[in-house]
Amino acid sequence: MKLLTHNMLTSHVQGVTKGYPLIIKATEVKVNELEFNAQFVSRMIPKLEWKALIQAAEWLGQSQDLPSTPKPNYESVEDFLRKVHRILLEVEVVEGCLQCPESGREFPISNGVPNLLLIEDE
Amino acid sequence: MTALLMLHLELIMQELDQTVTIGATVPTGFEHTAAEEVQEKLEATARVSKNRGRIYFDITTDKLLKVHQLKSLDNLFVVVKEYDDYQFKTTKEEVQIDWQELAAKLPWTNALEVWKLNNSIKKKKGRRKRTKPTKSDQCGNVGTKSTDTVPSDTEELWEDLEALEVKGNQRDVSSQPENDSEEEKRSEIQDQEPGETPLKFRVTCNRAGDKHCFTSNDAARDFGGAVQEFFQWKADMTKFDVEVLLNIHNNEVVVGIALTVESLHRRNITHFGPTTLRSTLAYGMLRLCKPQVSDVIVDPMCGTGAIPLEGVMEWQNSFFLAGDNNGTAVSRTRSNIKHILKRTHDGGSSSGLPLDIVQWDLCNLPMRSSSVDVIITDMPFGKRMGSKKKNWELYPSCLREMARVCKPGTGKAVLLTQDKKCFLKALSQTEGLWRKLHTVWVNVGGLHAGVFVLKRTAVVFGTISEDAMEPHTATGSQKGSMKDASE
Repeated sequence: MKLLTHNMLTSHVQGVTKGYPLIIKATEVKVNELEFNAQFVSRMIPKLEWKALIQAAEWLGQSQDLPSTPKPNYESVEDFLRKVHRILLEVEVVEGCLQCPESGREFPISNGVPNLLLIEDE
Repeated sequence: MTALLMLHLELIMQELDQTVTIGATVPTGFEHTAAEEVQEKLEATARVSKNRGRIYFDITTDKLLKVHQLKSLDNLFVVVKEYDDYQFKTTKEEVQIDWQELAAKLPWTNALEVWKLNNSIKKKKGRRKRTKPTKSDQCGNVGTKSTDTVPSDTEELWEDLEALEVKGNQRDVSSQPENDSEEEKRSEIQDQEPGETPLKFRVTCNRAGDKHCFTSNDAARDFGGAVQEFFQWKADMTKFDVEVLLNIHNNEVVVGIALTVESLHRRNITHFGPTTLRSTLAYGMLRLCKPQVSDVIVDPMCGTGAIPLEGVMEWQNSFFLAGDNNGTAVSRTRSNIKHILKRTHDGGSSSGLPLDIVQWDLCNLPMRSSSVDVIITDMPFGKRMGSKKKNWELYPSCLREMARVCKPGTGKAVLLTQDKKCFLKALSQTEGLWRKLHTVWVNVGGLHAGVFVLKRTAVVFGTISEDAMEPHTATGSQKGSMKDASE
């Protein structure tokens, strides 16, 4: 699971209103190279929940001194874009779980795939 | 041996550099997206045949390899000759005589040279070993009556061709000037295999129209007999070298030579499921949504992943999210991805793919609202998977949940379904969240299906009374109103 995906995932346990972001508890993390595209990253930044991204990076020990808000004119700062690219697409959680911050319910991640199915009465 | 082959290839290409007409079969309904791809990548204008599911375009032979790399095309053939208005006689005997005359005067030479060139190209591409599907392939060919006959021992076939290839090199392969008689041309082709066993061939005929006094079997048999007599080739239905195509659509007749043995439409999938979508169809659907840089594209019912896989291979500047509720589907998708990654890594690249898989419930997506740009999926048909009754409950909640996660105003959905009635009814119940842009009618495994292209309206989800409640709480009241919907 890449952190770009995590940024969009939220808990949907019944009745939960503060299910975002899901807490990451990783037991195995991998870094996989992926081709850098500056335009992709700079267009993606405004679509992200930035704070959640930083939080996720911290949980994985991959903060890389990313700022708490995106730098102004980030489109032209390649160094910054590359850091964001890495955290969005190259760092992957292979094993672990995602936890709903409100209900505590845990969803397993195995082989890089999170299982967010709820059982019938949840 | 390889160096000799390369040299041979270059020689042929130098001699040939001519324009040939290529015909291709495509999923019916996607002729225009296929023509777009041809224009984009080959800079050639394709014409769409009146015979659905076919396009034609002219290229110079140096572009042949690129043609094989196109993603919209199922099968390829080189046109020997096209007739716009062939006048068929009214008795079977007369028609048979006509086939004999025709076989003798067709301009075979150039097409056969292209066929030879094509064989070298296919060898250069290498053979991709594919595991056979465990369930029967239910997404059959569209628009053709012929079956996909793959020579049972493909390795042996390539060796035969290689032997022919080398022999051919010994003879000057220049195109004959126009006024040469057919006799000379025929012997030139013959002489290229001195002492070699004659080529094996079969004729595949597709016939449509109600004014013919013969069937496709009649035509295949009679034309086949004429071809055999002319070339002295051996007829063989399964282990053939040359597949001659005879396409008859009313008065339009096209004679071609096949350039693909296996259909190109299963290229990414090694691990099949019961309803795996053809890659060419998946590709056509993806073209319809025109993926942009940084688009988040979600397939919430991905099955074995045909659509996201095709997407991630072609549009690497978008991000693909593949989801399914079924654990087997998820693990098959993962296997298919691993296989693709291995293929690209073998080719030297070490890059990963902009794609993730999640196991989830489509009617209750664990995603933030308004986070998705495109939703693209193959919805359960109710015949091969699920049931029609289930669709009446599933479709409305699907469409609603998709509307929630999709960006208002800019978001799009491209949805394939055979249960058109149910789908349209469900659409009308989503209270102005979706607007129909257009529909492409397709044929999937013999079933008439529709690809619905929808635009997400600017209406914000949750502002209408019915969905003012949190989307993932019980939809009991909605279910009540569905119950009186009859088939």
